[in-house]
Amino acid sequence: MAAVASRTAGLLRLRAAGAERRWCGPRCAGLVQGFLPPGGEGAAQKRRVAHFTFQPDPESLQYGQTQKMNLFQSITSALDNSLAKDPTAVIFGEDVAFGGVFRCTVGLRDKYGKDRVFNTPLCEQGIVGFGIGIAVTGATAIAEIQFADYIFPAFDQIVNEAAKYRYRSGDLFNCGSLTIRAPWGCVGHGALYHSQSPEAFFAHCPGIKVVIPRSPFQAKGLLLSCIEDKNPCIFFEPKILYRAAVEQVPVEPYKIPLSQAEVIQEGSDVTLVAWGTQVHVIREVASMAREKLGVSCEIIDLRTIVPWDVDTVCKSVVKTGRLLISHEAPLTGGFASEISSTVQTYLGEYPRRHCTGTPCSEKRV
Amino acid sequence: MRKMLAAVSRVLAGAAQKPASRVLIASRNFANDATFEIKRCDLHRLEEGPPVTTVLTREDGLKYYRMMQTVRRMELKADQLYKQKIIRGFCHLCDGQEACCVGLEAGINPTDHLITAYRAHGFTFTRGLPVRTILAELTGRRGGCAKGKGGSMHMYAKNFYGGNGIVGAQVPLGAGIALACKYNGKDEVCLTLYGDGAANQGQIFEAYNMAALWKLPCIFICENNRYGMGTSVERAAASTDYYKRGDFIPGLRVDGMDILCVREATKFAAAYCRSGKGPILMELQTYRYHGHSMSDPGVSYRTREEIQEVRSKSDPIMLLKDRMVNSNLASVEELKEIDVEVRKEIEDAAQFATADPEPPLEELGYHIYSSDPPFEVRGANQWIKFKSVS
Repeated sequence: MAAVASRTAGLLRLRAAGAERRWCGPRCAGLVQGFLPPGGEGAAQKRRVAHFTFQPDPESLQYGQTQKMNLFQSITSALDNSLAKDPTAVIFGEDVAFGGVFRCTVGLRDKYGKDRVFNTPLCEQGIVGFGIGIAVTGATAIAEIQFADYIFPAFDQIVNEAAKYRYRSGDLFNCGSLTIRAPWGCVGHGALYHSQSPEAFFAHCPGIKVVIPRSPFQAKGLLLSCIEDKNPCIFFEPKILYRAAVEQVPVEPYKIPLSQAEVIQEGSDVTLVAWGTQVHVIREVASMAREKLGVSCEIIDLRTIVPWDVDTVCKSVVKTGRLLISHEAPLTGGFASEISSTVQTYLGEYPRRHCTGTPCSEKRV
Repeated sequence: MRKMLAAVSRVLAGAAQKPASRVLIASRNFANDATFEIKRCDLHRLEEGPPVTTVLTREDGLKYYRMMQTVRRMELKADQLYKQKIIRGFCHLCDGQEACCVGLEAGINPTDHLITAYRAHGFTFTRGLPVRTILAELTGRRGGCAKGKGGSMHMYAKNFYGGNGIVGAQVPLGAGIALACKYNGKDEVCLTLYGDGAANQGQIFEAYNMAALWKLPCIFICENNRYGMGTSVERAAASTDYYKRGDFIPGLRVDGMDILCVREATKFAAAYCRSGKGPILMELQTYRYHGHSMSDPGVSYRTREEIQEVRSKSDPIMLLKDRMVNSNLASVEELKEIDVEVRKEIEDAAQFATADPEPPLEELGYHIYSSDPPFEVRGANQWIKFKSVS
């Protein structure tokens, strides 16, 4: 709770800044882990476990019958729909055949055959390169990288080959039917190499799309959009939500548009922007702010990191006058800086904060 | 009768510091050494391989037995501590592969270098760190070898470069260390280990090429335990002859469950590298009893019968023990005594690892950059600033 309390206090300072519209104070860091301030509660430094509560969205009945699914089941459902609809679709990656280390591909090999759901050896650069090749011929390639932390051997293939294919061939060729899926974000015990959030590295590259869902319902719709989108997409799945997030998800396929942020709660005093797991943390902060400080927060889930929905965020900041962006990834060069500077370019100076992770935040529990 | 009693009591009194059993054992005649036959290694681009017989001295035998038993018990203790949630995070155990770490160490000098992937507890021990620092590192305490900040996958020691989480990434590093060895001209070699899963990573082949091109004293070692996490080698590799995968680099395939075989092969490979002929590749055929990590039961991709079969027929500690006992290098009781001592040592180490305090929070920001003077790092909330000292 200390984490949430510190963020609330940060908001308090924001409110105190009032209408001065000045950049003020140190940036507050309110990641899922909180440390007590020195001098508070006996100055005994305690560690806290990663904390958030998944908040499901109300059931959406516009897409037909729904079923209770957690995040990995909603991913399986999306992949199932894709393979059923598109005869050229193939799924490959490390250990996907038996169902995957997070059970996202359970049952698909039995249903669609070993020619369409198959394992690759341990070679991320090879997996993505191979996927680009499949996509260039027109087939739909859904590649899985086992953890986002391992995506870096494939970075060259993504940035230099996939992202630039259409441009450099003058639209003669493209690998738009490539989608790369990877588990993303902190999980509590992941330490250096099972917790990373590398979306900012890819945001720097035109030609690809980066999408991060916050819930099973969002995940299925966004993944189906990524698969059908005619640009190479990277779909990061918050691994801590695989089991923790349970919602009613439509069984039939449906799409959620890319590059559209969602205002999940309207408010008038401050705009809070987040994506992935952090949306749930922010929701909790918003309700605490309303109870304790009487602050009305507008919450935006960015959903697509790049190309991102500048209009929705700017319209919201025009309304509220204040912006707070929160993400798990480290502060320097994190995507919050991009959002922040873009909004400033269009709207001028305004009070803003980035609440982000630190290099040391991926601590073993 | 009285004289005999007096004589016995003199002996016992004289040997008062040793337990009576030790006196009895010392009085038995053991052989000083024995010659054993070992399996011939398969060779690739080599005219000759390591010898097929080797001499094991009693002293060495007891040393290897103790080391292997220590690694085994340490891994089993780590398993126990993990299940009690005293060790958290990731934990990759190497029981079953003791002959690899002890055998490799037996074939090289302490001044040689070694780098491996994440199944590194055994190597951390054989490279010279005491068990208590290893267990304390696993439990994340300040007595640990990486001060409690590294954990299972990030243990380091002198001339031991870890302990690396990203599969295959340590191999080009090993080639680089070998370059430094050659440059420094001290006749040192670098053992660069990786697994059968990592053998399919592209950067390994880049390292092969550089090492061969510049004739680096690098021994590439593929620890083939038949499974890359849950994928068997046949399903991951077009060629499971890992010792041939270096193509232009000569290779040998070694029985990794026989410590003497590993030792001889390592000596051979080290001599090859030290003579300036360039890199060499060794495939150690070994087996791990545990799953890939503590979150893998290890039986969904292989049968319990298979694990049991390896345990009963090829267990490295059992093989060494049988050899020593059958050639009169040691007695069963003596080896049992070593077992008891090792168990006690591990218990003490586990006690230490459980009781030692965690590293202080002030150290959270240390060693991010090398910096003088120390600089400030923002902590996880706006009031906490860590000093980054390095």
